[in-house]
Amino acid sequence: MVMGIIFKTVNYTYQPSTPFEQKALKNISVEIPTGSYTAVIGHTGSGKSTFLQHLNGLLRPSSGEIVIGKQIITPETKNKELGELRKHVGIVFQFPEAQLFEETVLKDIAFAPKNFGKNEEEATAIARQMARQVGLKEELLLKSPFELSGGQMRRVAIAGILAMEPEILVLDEPTAGLDPKGRLEMMEMFKELKEKQNLTVILVTHQMDDVANYADNVIVLENGRLIANGSPKKIFAQPKWLIEHHLALPKAGEFAVNFEKKTGYKFETLPLTESDLASQIVKMVHGGVQNG
Amino acid sequence: MGKVLLGRYIPGSSLVHRMDSRSKLILSFFFIVIIFLANNWESYLLLFIVTITSILTARVNFSFFIKGVRPLIWLILFTVLLQIFFSSGGTVFWKWGPFTLSYYGIVNGIYVFCRFVLIIFMSTLLTLTTAPLEIADALEKLMMPLKRIKVPVYEISLMLSIALRFVPTLMDETTKIMNAQRSRGVNFGEGNIMQQIKAVVPLLVPLFVSSFNRAEDLATAMEARGYHGGEGRTKYRVHYWEIRDTLGCTFFVVVFIILLFIRQW
Amino acid sequence: MVDMIEIKNLSFKYSQQDGQTFNDFNLKIKQGEWLAIIGHNGSGKSTLARLIDGLLAPSEGAIFIDGIKLTPENVWDVRSKIGMVFQNPDNQFVGANVEEDVAFGLENAAVSREQMLVRVKESLQRVNMWEFASHEPARLSGGQKQRVALAGVIALRPKIIILDEATSMLDPEGRKAVLDIIRELNHKEKLTVISITHDIDEASKAQRVVVLDDGKLIQDDKPEKVFSRGSDLVKIGLEPPFSEKLKGELESLGLVVPEDYLTEEGMINWLWELFSRQ
Repeated sequence: MVMGIIFKTVNYTYQPSTPFEQKALKNISVEIPTGSYTAVIGHTGSGKSTFLQHLNGLLRPSSGEIVIGKQIITPETKNKELGELRKHVGIVFQFPEAQLFEETVLKDIAFAPKNFGKNEEEATAIARQMARQVGLKEELLLKSPFELSGGQMRRVAIAGILAMEPEILVLDEPTAGLDPKGRLEMMEMFKELKEKQNLTVILVTHQMDDVANYADNVIVLENGRLIANGSPKKIFAQPKWLIEHHLALPKAGEFAVNFEKKTGYKFETLPLTESDLASQIVKMVHGGVQNG
Repeated sequence: MGKVLLGRYIPGSSLVHRMDSRSKLILSFFFIVIIFLANNWESYLLLFIVTITSILTARVNFSFFIKGVRPLIWLILFTVLLQIFFSSGGTVFWKWGPFTLSYYGIVNGIYVFCRFVLIIFMSTLLTLTTAPLEIADALEKLMMPLKRIKVPVYEISLMLSIALRFVPTLMDETTKIMNAQRSRGVNFGEGNIMQQIKAVVPLLVPLFVSSFNRAEDLATAMEARGYHGGEGRTKYRVHYWEIRDTLGCTFFVVVFIILLFIRQW
Repeated sequence: MVDMIEIKNLSFKYSQQDGQTFNDFNLKIKQGEWLAIIGHNGSGKSTLARLIDGLLAPSEGAIFIDGIKLTPENVWDVRSKIGMVFQNPDNQFVGANVEEDVAFGLENAAVSREQMLVRVKESLQRVNMWEFASHEPARLSGGQKQRVALAGVIALRPKIIILDEATSMLDPEGRKAVLDIIRELNHKEKLTVISITHDIDEASKAQRVVVLDDGKLIQDDKPEKVFSRGSDLVKIGLEPPFSEKLKGELESLGLVVPEDYLTEEGMINWLWELFSRQ
């Protein structure tokens, strides 16, 4: 199924017409292509989490409309019409281990598929498969999720979303609080999943390195407005613009900029990943260097 | 996002806002007690004038008070109807089985309605103009005499203030967990009673677990910051009883005396 | 320099767990030193911090803080020399608003109200949060809450500050703000700092890095020595510094790279030299 996402002048206001009114999204128009790996970046309070909650109808726009696959969400859309959509859009919230509640790991993973109409057997089968997918050992499946370590609980929660077999996977800082090893494993796992199952992935993150390493499309939000949208190359091409908006470069880009500043050598294109940086350096070493 | 109005406190700088929480708490109780002394239209009129004056002084939008009545409207109507149909006296207009519609019944019904409205308005005024913590403080101060009979007043008040501080945090947490479970296909507030009860489990279990974790973290943090019981602690927050508090109290005492004169004995 | 903390033959075991968390563990931390403790999740870092603060009691061995042996009798006195900031910003905010939270520790220490007013203001100004004095926690970001927690620590004028993964739940800006304050405290007031962390930037600011693995001290050295372990660092719970990763990439492309650890600046200089020789 083709599941592109299109926002058409979407606005969202919390507690409208009260003294506490707060505009969280302002005239957002953007398209998230099917099969893309889209990163959503922006500061705390930029509207990221509000944006994310529109992706499966947890929030409906105050005005404007959102098209996700065949579903059109407008301010008038009824809750009942959104159940079908939620099946197709899996959201892994920040610190998703907070959603665990079942007696066993297996039951918790099987929870969503059961809610979406699978029978006990089918749901359990999917749950087993997803547990393997996220690297949970067989002997953990019948334990209580609350007996596991933090990293394992995170995996259970993620498996619980994957078990919905969504076409669109939304990840809200999925590696927050994990140690570097856990972080790396998790990001690689999502990458593999995306390729294997042809998912559309939407990643909300503060880590510019993850944006450079994994994403092919970037959405930048600031104060509820869309201020940039394009490939990482395009977004990170103007270090000055980034500084103005208090956004960082990926480490490799930062290194390259500092290198250019200090030495006067120029990179062909600003490298964003370590491997890109390294290969450009090697090329410069072997091929002689353009000074300028 | 969409922070819940805890106790629906609305910050402001009116005279009522600036009054000491102790005097406001005492006066609210006092007023609720004297409402029960009113028994004719003159006395209710007096109390309404006092209430409206207080509300105007506080400069809070009147719609908040109407909203305060709304959730209780069925309880109020039920009580009013009981009064109307089951109290008798005076001219009887209509009678059917145990139900009578009499002059006194109607008058009593109206009085009961007024009583409810007055109590709700006054207590709403208290919570709209006083931060929850101030109320907790006032309670602590007013409970002080209980220390003599070994009631742990300090601990109770610290517990109360921590509980109040965590209400928005837990509300936030609830929203987050509800969002997560709705994304997993749970429909809150839909279906029959059994389905609704079933839907609550995926919300309550995580909420309990996270609250316990928080409590443990908080206890550790408090211990690390040197908390070892309420004894011997000094206090950062102080309250001053000012001339406006004395004036406020005097005003209500005068109202009380007038009420004694105009009520029917 | 004088030892601020000395841990001698420490053993500890959680009652609900089978294995020993620490077995005959020794460590000395000097006054005014900034020590980073790293290790993967579950390596015993936080347990060590809690033992130092007397929040847990060792089953064997002794801990000396500022020359005094930690005992159940003097734990409150010893603890007053130590300020701790924990991981979750929400779960250590006790007060109803910012200033009251900073005052909480002072109230516990029975500081007079006049003194409290002075110290609360002073410490909030130090962390740039004075203008938020009357804000409730719900209106603060995680980074702001951690700065308030830090102000609460500063107000008590401790000799030691322990950061127990205090920046791990913050965004990069919040993290930087917290670390800037810590650096200033360490430099100007000679406070002893122990930071438990996964963050490479945080660890690189320390003068000394201790690597823990299952309660065992597997390395105790200058940051640059520890960082030169390269990709091996991932195993012990730390992301290799960028320059090390770049070195690895260059090496795999056939370039001969220096063996010693280079900072980013050192790396730039080395490359510059390499280019100039061409």
